[in-house]
Amino acid sequence: MPLKLTVIPEQCCGCRICELVCAIEHFGVNNPKKSAVRVLNIYPHPVIRMPVVCSQCRVPLCAQVCPTDALRWVEGVVQLEPSECISCYKCAESCPFGAIYVHEDCELPIKCDMCGGDPQCVKKCPTGALRLLPEAALGESKRLDNILSYTAMKEIELYEEGEKKVIRYAEVGKEEL
Amino acid sequence: MSLKGGYFKKGLWVDLTRGAIETRSLADAFLERYIGGRGFGAKLVWDNLREHDFKIDPLGAENLLVVAPGPLSGVYLPSSGKNSFVAISPATGLYGDSSMGGGFGVELRQTGIDLLSVAGRAAELSVLFIDGDGAKVIPMPELKGKSCLQAEGLIKERLGSHIVHMATIGVAGENMVGFACISADWGRNAGRTGLGTVMGSKNLKAIALQGNKDLPVYDMSGLVAEADKAYGYMKEHPFFKMWQRQGLMNVIDYANETGILPAYNFKDSVFARCEQINGTTMLNHYKIGDSACFACPMCCGNICLVKSGKYVGTVVEGPEYETCAMLGPNLGIDDFAAVLSAARLCDELGLDTISTGSIVAAVIEGYEKGILSLADLDGREITWGDDDAILELIPKIAHREGVGDILAGGSRRIIETWPEMDRVILQVKGLEQSAYDSRASISMALAYATSDIGAHHTRAWTIAKEMEEGSNWSDDERVGIVIYHQKLRPLFDMFGVCRLPWIELGLNELHYERFYNCVTGGSLSLDELLELSNDVYDLTRLANVRLGMSRRDDSLPYKVRTNPPLTGPNAGKVINQGEFQRLLTLYYQKRGWDENGVPPASLAEKFNDRV
Repeated sequence: MPLKLTVIPEQCCGCRICELVCAIEHFGVNNPKKSAVRVLNIYPHPVIRMPVVCSQCRVPLCAQVCPTDALRWVEGVVQLEPSECISCYKCAESCPFGAIYVHEDCELPIKCDMCGGDPQCVKKCPTGALRLLPEAALGESKRLDNILSYTAMKEIELYEEGEKKVIRYAEVGKEEL
Repeated sequence: MSLKGGYFKKGLWVDLTRGAIETRSLADAFLERYIGGRGFGAKLVWDNLREHDFKIDPLGAENLLVVAPGPLSGVYLPSSGKNSFVAISPATGLYGDSSMGGGFGVELRQTGIDLLSVAGRAAELSVLFIDGDGAKVIPMPELKGKSCLQAEGLIKERLGSHIVHMATIGVAGENMVGFACISADWGRNAGRTGLGTVMGSKNLKAIALQGNKDLPVYDMSGLVAEADKAYGYMKEHPFFKMWQRQGLMNVIDYANETGILPAYNFKDSVFARCEQINGTTMLNHYKIGDSACFACPMCCGNICLVKSGKYVGTVVEGPEYETCAMLGPNLGIDDFAAVLSAARLCDELGLDTISTGSIVAAVIEGYEKGILSLADLDGREITWGDDDAILELIPKIAHREGVGDILAGGSRRIIETWPEMDRVILQVKGLEQSAYDSRASISMALAYATSDIGAHHTRAWTIAKEMEEGSNWSDDERVGIVIYHQKLRPLFDMFGVCRLPWIELGLNELHYERFYNCVTGGSLSLDELLELSNDVYDLTRLANVRLGMSRRDDSLPYKVRTNPPLTGPNAGKVINQGEFQRLLTLYYQKRGWDENGVPPASLAEKFNDRV
């Protein structure tokens, strides 16, 4: 089953370990500015830390604007063919997520290649903000959230070892009884 | 041996008076000997003192502000986001330094320099902008009176870039409040010894950075192997998750249980309503996110939001232990939302939360005891737990309004004005004491007393160990642990890394020896590195002695030797002055200093080589 590199920004603490390991893996250098994943720290409003990385779109806009067809979607990864790239960086400009990066030392745009299926950033993320999920599981957390926000749900609060917990439940409708 | 990695071997010298900016190369001998961070700062400040015949006004143009990350800052290893600021301190008049985490030091290195030295005074309020191509001083008088965050926004707009990192000062720094801090990344502060004040005295509102250079690492694969081991070790530690969830806020309960939590200006060392301001309360009601410094898996920072009540909408990075203790229990405040509000106020104004909490607490007690009259307080009463009055007083300090003008001068000015306040304020050498009650631990009292920057816990934090194991310690062991900490802990500041993975998760010291050698291509042992950091301790002692400090300044605050905590496990305990003096003499002996704490004259020769 195809796997997808998924970002859960609520879990991100902004440590930028992902940036470091990406640059080390691909360029062999200690330089977070040569990474295909970057953490945007926004404050004071909205308060969020957002890792931005390629979504490997099935209909990649970057590939559509590429004048030399250097970018192609192959088996779940939008791959860059270096020999065909002319370094115009149209891809970086057109990506709707801004997930393609440019660095003055590098001729080629910097773009996530999924590390051949085993992304280092996912492996080294200390909080689980970056995950590798089967495509079929995408949206799972939203589905769960939806269940939890079902309006007819009731809830009780309790404290377990000093920590507040909430149990939500749906009661059997009276009329059915 | 020549250094094969770890450094760009370049420093940037800026003179704001002349507008002169100069890049100088740094000799291997200097880099090897002083390593980085606080080591660089100590040496440069020492040279500057010698040049000025040891007469430097902390607020004068001649005071040098050294900004220095270390050779490990920004490198792939746990918690490598530290940066030191060093200058002669306005709080103590002696050597001062403070470090901050976040990403500022990493960005500074990525501009291609190992250190930044700022001298002089700009004609008008300015911003120093550095990128890979050089540096420029940009006058921005419109930043006057702006909070750290507002200034950051305006500078980003002016530079047309939203990816710059910067360190800014708030109104407190502009107004030269004795304990103003330097802020970066929204909640990271170089808080202590008033270095924001030094920036203010130079008319320097901010240092903005944009860099993209590779950091020089000699043995990358060796480093990655070592770092992965260390990260793996930390992740497996039983307390790792707790650190991610609570960060330093977990210390509140520990300090309360063991009786070292400051309450009511250290009148007590336990707080009855502790559960209203502890880590669990934060987690259950206020925390909305984690925050980490660069490359740190522990992410001990918290982001908190007040969701209802009179402080609704208050959002702040923090608090951590010191801030919560000093602005909470130490002021008698039991409302966590009020603590957050005070913390945010300090962040915006650019005030150190430890000194601010300590001074406000002293004012409350001074008023209670009748040392301060209502007229002294401009007619506004202030009592324990009165959050409204406290939140009114804090901005008055930053703006130097009314009584705030005297308080802004810090402990020394307050005691000059009202000599009896010496019995109320806990300070050593003019720096207000951190939030660990040393009456529970004589080694901690010795650590505060002998710290080169004043009563701060960064030099040696021996209190937990002494409480756990120290009941039968000999004098030798008590002094020994203080000296060991004072040797080891500077090394973290010199490397440019955080010490928490070591002290809290037990990451072995030897990891750092290997990190250093992988990055620089050197072959120094931990003992050799400790010798170098010990030299830095000797050097700052020498500087302080030449600035007029002596044995009488290695002292205990009045309360610590006279007034015991009222309740809790350490009720009735004070530090016996005779016992303390005995330990102090032994401490000097073990350090090779004389009876007055003066290092041998020959020692100075070691540090007089030219950079």
